[in-house]
Amino acid sequence: MISSLPRETIISIVLFAAVWQVMSYLAPSLGIPAFAIPGLGRIAESLTKITLLDVAVTLGRVLLSLVVSFVIGLLVAVLMYLSESVEKYLRPMVRILMAVPVVSWILFAVLWFKGVEFRIVFVLVVVCAPVFTVDALDNMREVSRDLKQMIRSFRPTPFQFFHKLMLPAITPGIITSWKITLSLAIRVVTIAELVGAVTGIGHQLSVAQELFSVADVFAWTLVLVVLLFFLEALLVRLETHVLRWRA
Amino acid sequence: MTGASAPIEIAQLRKVFRQTTSGQSITAIDQLSLRIEPGELIAIVGKTGCGKSTLFDLLIGLEHPTAGSITIGGKTPYDDFNAFRGKIATIFQQDRLFPWRSALDNVKLPLELIGIAEDVQQERALTWLKRLGLEKFANAYPRELSGGMRQRVAIARAFAVQPEILLADESFSALDEVTANELRKTFVELAREFKSTAILITHQLEEAMAVGDRIVVFGKSAALLADVRTSDWDRADYPLLREAIQNTLQANAPDARLKR
Repeated sequence: MISSLPRETIISIVLFAAVWQVMSYLAPSLGIPAFAIPGLGRIAESLTKITLLDVAVTLGRVLLSLVVSFVIGLLVAVLMYLSESVEKYLRPMVRILMAVPVVSWILFAVLWFKGVEFRIVFVLVVVCAPVFTVDALDNMREVSRDLKQMIRSFRPTPFQFFHKLMLPAITPGIITSWKITLSLAIRVVTIAELVGAVTGIGHQLSVAQELFSVADVFAWTLVLVVLLFFLEALLVRLETHVLRWRA
Repeated sequence: MTGASAPIEIAQLRKVFRQTTSGQSITAIDQLSLRIEPGELIAIVGKTGCGKSTLFDLLIGLEHPTAGSITIGGKTPYDDFNAFRGKIATIFQQDRLFPWRSALDNVKLPLELIGIAEDVQQERALTWLKRLGLEKFANAYPRELSGGMRQRVAIARAFAVQPEILLADESFSALDEVTANELRKTFVELAREFKSTAILITHQLEEAMAVGDRIVVFGKSAALLADVRTSDWDRADYPLLREAIQNTLQANAPDARLKR
């Protein structure tokens, strides 16, 4: 995987690591506490203590929430596409949902719900589903009028119309939506897990913060970033396969 | 394949569009009456904006007339929309293939929509691709095919359902002359073989004469300027017929010389 990275990327990562290491040496002499900028060795040590269960739990929460968000988002988009009046009522709601800050959703979730897992999934869904709705609706609107006229001339059922034309036509847009929401969900889940969760990367970050362990915070953050890159790479692979007709 | 069994009866057809911006009304078709016999190959020719494509949309059933009616065997393609599933097929100016489907899967599309068994779909789609000389390109995506090949796939897709009525809207006008001639010939051969009622809408008189057993000339708002059976004319008289229709189109008024 590393060999497939561009040379410039590798150089910039190595440079960053070198600057970090130098900073960790110089920190005490600059009046910065030593624990604030731990050396690479200390970070590596923290990385060895990463518990895979927490990674798996966070990954599970993200994927489950994204699937639920996608299903809800797509269904709402289809309803809005089919009925102008439904769209007129729902569009302001969707816009309001998108405008509410993530922190507010977390506070609402804490105040409204008891179950920690439900709180986390709720926050992720309420943040990600509107993104899927807006993207899917825009993509459905952009499906060629000519293709719609062509398939309608063969008299499909409404299900066939969506299954044979709309879904394949909006697939490129849906994959782009997944890329956006994946990155959004990874960031949001961490914040959501900070509140009340006893597992997951967010919880571990919270523990590291309580222990003033910057090395652990760095290590867990690194895991999150790598996890995001890994999932994005999987999506790109899927995209290459599904959209091979565009090559 | 039994072919078309009922005539298409267009009676006092009127279609008015209201422009959303200005609120003005545009009469695309005004009081058109026409009867098309089963198995007839008819070319409708007229200038751009004369209402040909509106008639096409009404015949497909995607538009409702403002007044008058189109009936086929006692049913209308717009009110009895589903009654015509698998009975009407279309070929458009652009191929309108699904870019994410291979040539084979594009031909299979209408067969999937009418619920034909998967193995029959495969067999029939392959037969049609072979018939149109594209068997080697069955798995090619539309982007890998030339314009002429894509239009062949569109023709295969239309004939695959063995339609009673075949509607073609400027289907060959975007192609080079050699390919267009070849595909016109194929279109006529297939329509005759399967006894489909075929309606070709075109703005090119040459194309109308090459394809139609009958040529209908539209003026403004689909006013019927001429209705000529080419069988009434000897091949030798075609230049005269062409000139007469040309004059009619230019003058936009009925021409007495067209009556035989």
